[in-house]
Amino acid sequence: MKLSFYPGCSLDGMARDYARSITAVFQHLEIGLVELEDWTCCGATAAHSLDEMMAAALPARNLALAEKLGLDLVSPCANCFNRLRFSRKLLREKMVDVPWQVSGELEVHDMTRFLAEPALIKRIEQRLVRPLAGLRVVCYYGCQMVRPPRITGYTDFENPQTLDRLAAALGAEVRDWSYKGTCCGASIGIGRKDIQDTLTGRLLDKARQAGAEAIVVSCPLCQANLDIIQRRSKGMVIPVFYFTELMRLAFEGGERAGVWFKQHFADPLPLLEGKGLL
Amino acid sequence: MNPLAPSNESPSPSGPPPDRPRTLLSGRGDPFLSRVEGETGANISACYQCERCTNACPVSQYMDIKPHQVIRHVQLGWREALLSSTTVWVCLSCEMCSTYCPNEVSVAAVISFLRNMAFHSSIAPREKLLAVFHQTFLDQLRKFGRVNEFWLMEAFNRHLPILKEKIRAGTLPEELRLGWDLWRKGKLHLIPRRSKAIAEIRAVYRRQRGEVAP
Ligand code: SF4
Ligand code: SF4
Repeated sequence: MKLSFYPGCSLDGMARDYARSITAVFQHLEIGLVELEDWTCCGATAAHSLDEMMAAALPARNLALAEKLGLDLVSPCANCFNRLRFSRKLLREKMVDVPWQVSGELEVHDMTRFLAEPALIKRIEQRLVRPLAGLRVVCYYGCQMVRPPRITGYTDFENPQTLDRLAAALGAEVRDWSYKGTCCGASIGIGRKDIQDTLTGRLLDKARQAGAEAIVVSCPLCQANLDIIQRRSKGMVIPVFYFTELMRLAFEGGERAGVWFKQHFADPLPLLEGKGLL
Repeated sequence: MNPLAPSNESPSPSGPPPDRPRTLLSGRGDPFLSRVEGETGANISACYQCERCTNACPVSQYMDIKPHQVIRHVQLGWREALLSSTTVWVCLSCEMCSTYCPNEVSVAAVISFLRNMAFHSSIAPREKLLAVFHQTFLDQLRKFGRVNEFWLMEAFNRHLPILKEKIRAGTLPEELRLGWDLWRKGKLHLIPRRSKAIAEIRAVYRRQRGEVAP
């Protein structure tokens, strides 16, 4: 099995740890990832905010590259995924005019939904070396991956399940909570830190109330946002894991966890040690 | 009359509508409604002011014109009030509003369109930092084809008014601390990765502006 892969700028920058865990996990699962050559930024929130035509045009180039490879495209970043799907919809409706050969017919997956298919869940369960028994988590999807449903294709957007299924397959104890899709405010931090801190702080509180010891995410912006705000907290921190980091932990055991998690502000090592997962 | 000339007749959000006749050029009234409906595909006329969008919105308390009021303002053609609102900048595009609207009004798409419109108007953005930040992001994209967090922040702070604003608000020390923390964690990368396809991106930008290649 082979997919084309659009990493996006975050995985090239602040979220290189996410990128490394993805490479490892896909090797374990024997799925080939072909990175789009010379991919370009999807425009993210900025293009969407200031220039909607560019917001439709910028992702189209990457879709064209994937179509040339003839491989379904997978995106690990919620924002890129949303932008790619948005552009694809407008291309299909012939609403955007771009200089590249692109039809918009190719499938664009977000990585969690691709991996949470029953056949792959089974494969994941077969690869487990160290199930994450006893680790209590909540899964956080954020806004861009699930909404708006007409773009993302999520039918269970009120209570999405992909990350929940993946975390459960790894043996973690997944807690239910009502904030799976409530925006963390990452996009507004530059100008209105007050709003960002309120939204992010509430998510951390609610995760605690739900009995979680860690949060599982797939979006690099959510991860940075939920993690960075805890960098000076005194008391108990709630580590924020990329779901692929937990997969790698369950596939390989925790001998190298010190290296994998060294870019986290909310240090996961004490928690993992307490659970006997190192 | 210049349609983009700043108007000092903007109605306050809850105030009365402008009482001079609506003119097509200034984009008030029905042409404004039709334009927003046409550009966004949002079913604005279907709104019955149930306020579900506002109740679903995580940041409505920070908005001067609440999401359901935005829709009403569009129906009424209160263009200047919308373009000079905090709402268009505070909105996170999180799509809660659209998702929960019983009449499938794409409220978020309307607000996005208004933010685009505000940015291209002569009305000063109510959240200047955010507007300049988005603009800086797009500049970086045009320069490298990709966006590197370190150079993005560097370019952002190089705008003197922004730096002054940060000093005035007293947020600069905290930001420098954050930068230092990110650096220590190895999260910042000084060498930006460029895409070789940057010429293609610049060509699209030029065409967007209506420039023709010689
Ligand atoms: S939820 Fe829909 S119908 Fe209700 S006020 Fe908002 S836009 Fe109008
Ligand atoms: S998209 Fe904007 S207006 Fe709609 S719920 Fe989110 S923040 Fe509120």
